[in-house]
Amino acid sequence: MPETDPQPTAAVVAEMLTKRYGSLTAIENLSFSVAPGEIVGFLGPNGAGKSTTMRILAGTMAGTSGRASIWGESVALNPAAAKRHMAYMPENNPLPEDLRVEEYLTLRARLKDVAPEKISERVAKVMDDCDLTRRAKGRLIGQLSKGFKQRVGIADALLAEPKVVILDEPTIGLDPHQILGIRDLIRSLRGKMAVLISSHILHEVEQVCDKVVIINRGKLVAQGRTEDLRRELFPQAIFNLTTQATAAELKVLVSVHEPAATVEAVGTIDTTWNRIKVTLPAHSPLRETLATLMITAGMSLREIAEEHYGLEDIFLAATRRATTEGGRI
Amino acid sequence: MRHFRTLLVHELRSAFFSWNTWAAAGLFLTLMGTLHWFAVLECSRTPQAWTPVEATFRLFWLPLLCVLPLLTMRSFADERRQGTLSALLTTPASPAAIVWAKFLSAWITWALFWISFTLFPVLVNLRLGTTSEAALYDSSAMLGGLCFILVSGLLHVSIGILCSCVTRSATLAALLTFITLLALTAIGGAMESLPIESWAWLGWLREPAAHLRTFGHLQDFASGILDSRPLILYLTGTLLSLGLAVLAVEGQE
Repeated sequence: MPETDPQPTAAVVAEMLTKRYGSLTAIENLSFSVAPGEIVGFLGPNGAGKSTTMRILAGTMAGTSGRASIWGESVALNPAAAKRHMAYMPENNPLPEDLRVEEYLTLRARLKDVAPEKISERVAKVMDDCDLTRRAKGRLIGQLSKGFKQRVGIADALLAEPKVVILDEPTIGLDPHQILGIRDLIRSLRGKMAVLISSHILHEVEQVCDKVVIINRGKLVAQGRTEDLRRELFPQAIFNLTTQATAAELKVLVSVHEPAATVEAVGTIDTTWNRIKVTLPAHSPLRETLATLMITAGMSLREIAEEHYGLEDIFLAATRRATTEGGRI
Repeated sequence: MRHFRTLLVHELRSAFFSWNTWAAAGLFLTLMGTLHWFAVLECSRTPQAWTPVEATFRLFWLPLLCVLPLLTMRSFADERRQGTLSALLTTPASPAAIVWAKFLSAWITWALFWISFTLFPVLVNLRLGTTSEAALYDSSAMLGGLCFILVSGLLHVSIGILCSCVTRSATLAALLTFITLLALTAIGGAMESLPIESWAWLGWLREPAAHLRTFGHLQDFASGILDSRPLILYLTGTLLSLGLAVLAVEGQE
């Protein structure tokens, strides 16, 4: 039995995790980690193996090979200890429909080893945090809307103040107001709990998560901070300019400082203003000084903007790269 | 087994508030009340070698096959269908604690059904005891029969729990329980009825037949004979069924 580390370096560790169903491989040699207090987005297309991975980490499914640990405790060898540090909300968030919200949370608190004298306080706190107190406290779970059921699931996950929270699609089926509420709630967990969250709404993940792990067809294709992945997958910087200078004039100016740069005319506005696209290679110093350089050279500049690559672009580029190259670079 | 008590209280509470339990209780008491009433009528017309209590207890297989599957069918099958079993398994509660809590809850409910039934003979005795000469009430047979039901019920309920573990359909779980209990009771009854003694080629069956004679066990209990063999049979059968149920819950993925 592994020794319990009160402050492990990683709250969640997946090491060479593999799960096979007969001849079908759901996930293969998947390795990643989540640091304590970190919020990590777990992304992948449908059928990529996200839910399988989360279920293995939660201990509700056995992996075929590899190692999974939660707060230093092996999920396979010491499941009870691992579960004490972890809360898991599955994708469809199954709840007993014949229990009232408060009764259900009280039962779950008992099963999660919350100290008996603290149960009422914790139940009240999570109901308050998840905005359940006023509108759902005494109602049967079966009578609640999808949004409130999701809140009950999240309240259950936070009940025992676990070190690790695993949320599989927590905002699925929620309206924009509810999504905002859940997003703020998850954001408030930063630094307190390690959160592994899967979601199809990439914009939402980008807003909430410190780091992302992207899988495709059961294999890891990218992981890291969004900014680092952006630099890795889109090393070039692309600037869109509106200026009175022509593309040829700008090309001459830019080539002096960055010979590898490309300048391309995109169109004109009001016949006197040209729209030009400038592509700079990775780590080019011009990235910071292009606007200054143009103004110093006497070129009028109405607009300059660097093209922004969102998580959606990163996700698509990473999965495309994996498909064409057969794995992670 | 740390969370056993919490789970048991929850299961008992759920059973108490479930329409399923009350429907099963209604069916059980109607069935047993009717059977007992006919036995009382028969005894009151002509004196019999048996008492109404004995006769009713000998028909224990009827509620066993018709009512017990209703009690156990939803225990795991429904939880697996709804996914709430997976959610339960994410807590530190062990599969063994979950299985034992559901088993004991169903067994207590089954025992309460039979204890409720004993009110019928008591009421009959209170009403007719002073006027009737016929043996309408036999407290020792009732106590013995009840002991048999409680002991054999351990195995019967555990079989129901096991059947509920292996499927997501409550109907299928009830059907599996029905078939298994029917086979168990029928084999026990057949062992007593077949002239095994006179069939040399079936000699090897004598020993198991002696153990599996279900109705003989009832007779022994009702007569106040305490034989350890049926006790061991029912207890080991219960442990085996529950052990398999724990494995089924652990392996549900």
